[in-house]
Amino acid sequence: MSQQFLMATLILAPLIGFLINGIRYKKHSAEVAGAIATGAATISFIVSVLFMVQLVGSEPENRRIAVSFFDWINVGALKIPAGFVVDQISGIMILVVTGVGSLIHLFSIGYMHHDKGVAKYFAFLNLFLFNMLLLVLGDSLPVMFVGWEGVGLCSYLLIGFWFTDQAKAAAGMKAFVTNRIGDAAFILGMFVLFLTFGTLHFHELNHLMPASPALSWLSPLTLGTLLLFIGATGKSAQIPLYVWLPDAMAGPTPVSALIHAATMVTAGVYMIVRMNPVFLMAPNTMEVIAIIGGLTAVMAASIGLTQWDIKKVLAYSTVSQLGYMFLACGVGAFGAALFHLMTHAFFKALMFLGSGSVIHSMHEEQDIRKMGGLKKYMPITHITFLLGWLAIIGMPPFAGFFSKDDILWMAFHSPRGHILLWVMGFAGALMTAFYMTRLMALTFWGQSRVDKKIHPHESPALMTIPLVVLGLLSVIGGWIGIPHVIGSILPGEPSNILEAWLEPVLQQVPGLEHGDPSQEWMLMGVSVLFAALSAAVAYNFYVKNPERPKALANALGGFYRLVADKYRVDEGYFALLIQPLVKGSQGLWFYVDVNVIDKATFVVADVVRGGGNFVKTLQNGNIQRYALYVAMGIVISLTYILLR
Amino acid sequence: MITDVFLFWFLAIVTLAAGITVVTVTNPIYSALALAMTMIGVSALFVTLGAYFLAGVQIIVYAGAVTVLFVMVVMLFDLKYEVVAFSRGKVSGALKLASGATLGGLLIGSIFLTVNGVTKAVSVGTSEKAGDTTKELSRLLFTKYVFGFEALGVLLLIIAVGAVALARSKGGTHAEH
Amino acid sequence: MPNIDSAVSSAAPNMVLLTDTIPVGIGLTHYLVLSAILFVLGMIGVLLRRNAIVMLMSIELMLNAVNLSFVAFSHFLGLIDGQIMVFFVMTIAAAEAAVGLAILVSIFKRYREVNIRFFEHLRG
Repeated sequence: MSQQFLMATLILAPLIGFLINGIRYKKHSAEVAGAIATGAATISFIVSVLFMVQLVGSEPENRRIAVSFFDWINVGALKIPAGFVVDQISGIMILVVTGVGSLIHLFSIGYMHHDKGVAKYFAFLNLFLFNMLLLVLGDSLPVMFVGWEGVGLCSYLLIGFWFTDQAKAAAGMKAFVTNRIGDAAFILGMFVLFLTFGTLHFHELNHLMPASPALSWLSPLTLGTLLLFIGATGKSAQIPLYVWLPDAMAGPTPVSALIHAATMVTAGVYMIVRMNPVFLMAPNTMEVIAIIGGLTAVMAASIGLTQWDIKKVLAYSTVSQLGYMFLACGVGAFGAALFHLMTHAFFKALMFLGSGSVIHSMHEEQDIRKMGGLKKYMPITHITFLLGWLAIIGMPPFAGFFSKDDILWMAFHSPRGHILLWVMGFAGALMTAFYMTRLMALTFWGQSRVDKKIHPHESPALMTIPLVVLGLLSVIGGWIGIPHVIGSILPGEPSNILEAWLEPVLQQVPGLEHGDPSQEWMLMGVSVLFAALSAAVAYNFYVKNPERPKALANALGGFYRLVADKYRVDEGYFALLIQPLVKGSQGLWFYVDVNVIDKATFVVADVVRGGGNFVKTLQNGNIQRYALYVAMGIVISLTYILLR
Repeated sequence: MITDVFLFWFLAIVTLAAGITVVTVTNPIYSALALAMTMIGVSALFVTLGAYFLAGVQIIVYAGAVTVLFVMVVMLFDLKYEVVAFSRGKVSGALKLASGATLGGLLIGSIFLTVNGVTKAVSVGTSEKAGDTTKELSRLLFTKYVFGFEALGVLLLIIAVGAVALARSKGGTHAEH
Repeated sequence: MPNIDSAVSSAAPNMVLLTDTIPVGIGLTHYLVLSAILFVLGMIGVLLRRNAIVMLMSIELMLNAVNLSFVAFSHFLGLIDGQIMVFFVMTIAAAEAAVGLAILVSIFKRYREVNIRFFEHLRG
């Protein structure tokens, strides 16, 4: 089978699934719609596996399958074909996207079983998959941007899926509009890069980079990459454009798992990793990325400490973990960022699906204050959620430990890193351990606070199988990135497979030296120890002595309320940006549109009417007057002729 | 020679006086009679210009038929009171007079500008018999202008029928017949 | 034109005629000016008189003036076509007068008035 056929199948299978389910959007059968959609996603997964097998079998320098279908844009100097490329980076991405995607499609069959719009749901989900594949496989910025916009659209459609509820529809709009602000910056970034380098293909851009970094804040490289990064903050929910992600929990839970944990929100990280030579040559931008990543990680984790909705906790956790990925990018650890992207997809999707299982069995109850002791009723969900919990708090040998530690080490060690960045990452890890343990404790452990009318039960197999698979991946997923210091002491000396895999496409940060193994061990030990301590404290607070957290919250008083109110960022945006815009628009409407423009049209109409009235008086029915007009006409024309 | 001059001036003055009378007197009967006088004057001028046949036709048709028609209509209407002869409005009236005068001036001016003193006529002095012009006229009428001639016939037929039709109605703008 | 001049000069051969010394002759200009004045008179009549019948009469006056100028041109340029024109104009004028008067009769029967100031119905 030719590469073109494979690539076409990979990309178009979800599109065809979208079309089929879209045409039959009024059907109610979840099994049929789900089978079509999951089948399409699985076909894409199989093709992804085939591609990866091909890549694994090739030489490290040749690991690149590029397919171009047709000439898309051909205007002057701008030539963009519809081209797609599978290389080391996108190979990992398509496996994650289609693999986790297929599992979530399977889960949705059970979750959305009773929903009337289930065919529409699966159609949108497939459309999302199609756009995500466009984004990940595109070989130039415009092709990626098509997918970028497309996933934004699907996010809007799926968040506002139950659009009859005003609040849910508004959440969808908020996501879309915030995304669009980022997208505007993305487009401007594309303009700057095209003007400077004359091309928008990743391969060509990566090779056109100057040898020395651009040091000025105003150099086109810095500006272009900054603008692209602002676009990434919109898509990947970083400061300042993260406000849509917590609201996006209004959508169905599998959507939150797929789009807002595993795939769409990682698009920004993927873009930066894809263009890592470009970003490496703009150290100012990387500084900004690192600082924003670190701040987001800390801030979101702090808000997660105070939330009572199970999905909101996970949402803020996602924002925080994305901050870690950007922190890694900012210090030049692109491999670590991609690694964490992958492991995060596993354990966050797992936890979202697990929470979906809990919500489904609790009859749509989402407040963790009304849960507790669920582990006896939902054993599979509990075990798998536990695996995800261990992964996210960074316990070895689970997946999250390896990736998060990689990031923290590079934050400390890289020439573009800083001790403060490590401190931010460390603080975030502590808070992550605390709030995740809090979530586990309040949901699954301890006394049951469940309402007597609800009888929680385990979810059906369609929903638990994906949980089990993802749980397994959360355990073993990190083992492809075992750092050298650990690998050297383990039996069999496993190497860092991921690092070797990504080495041909990732450029090194200039000035990176070999690390001191003892420093690495120390940092690792410190973070694991304190994470475990943090988890133990949380266990104490929420299982053993429930009145202690309440006392602490009361003691902190106003500060606690500020954090619980998400630092009032939404209110701040509303007051500083949205209200002035709305008031300004209203003012413009009233003073300019109604008073000036409408008045101008009225004036024109009045002038015409006045003119008409005047001309009307010329026709007064008096024939002698008409004869006078004739006579005057003759006089005038005669005068004209004679005077000429 | 002098007779021509005298004749012309005499006839011109008579015609003009009659014309002024047509326009200015209040009683429409007097206007009609003055119109007849004007037409006779014009007919005489035709004679001085050698258009004998036309002079005759002018008398018969114009002074004879048309004027009589006018007189009959005036008498039919039996208009007694004509308090004001001229239209209302001093400004429009002044404007009408002014445009009339301007037109007259322009016409006379253009006449003087273009006609280069054709005083000596081509045909003044040559003796013409009345029969010559008539023969020439009729010859041209039936050869070169026969189409117009026939059309005129049709027109007169239509006029006759139409006038009778109009006269039979009860009158008014929306009258039935 | 009967040759009075030759008759006079044969009757009184020694008389010096005024016209022999003073070169005054009736030319085209005279006739045209007369025609113009009659035309303007007719036009003023149309513009200023209120009685519809007198208006029609003024129109006849204008047509007569035009006839005069036609015949004058015919005489002074030697073309008989001018007189043909007069022929046509005269016919048309007569026909038009007939129809105009018929209409006036029709109007008078309905409104008992021929003063045009009552007939301003077609106003804007």
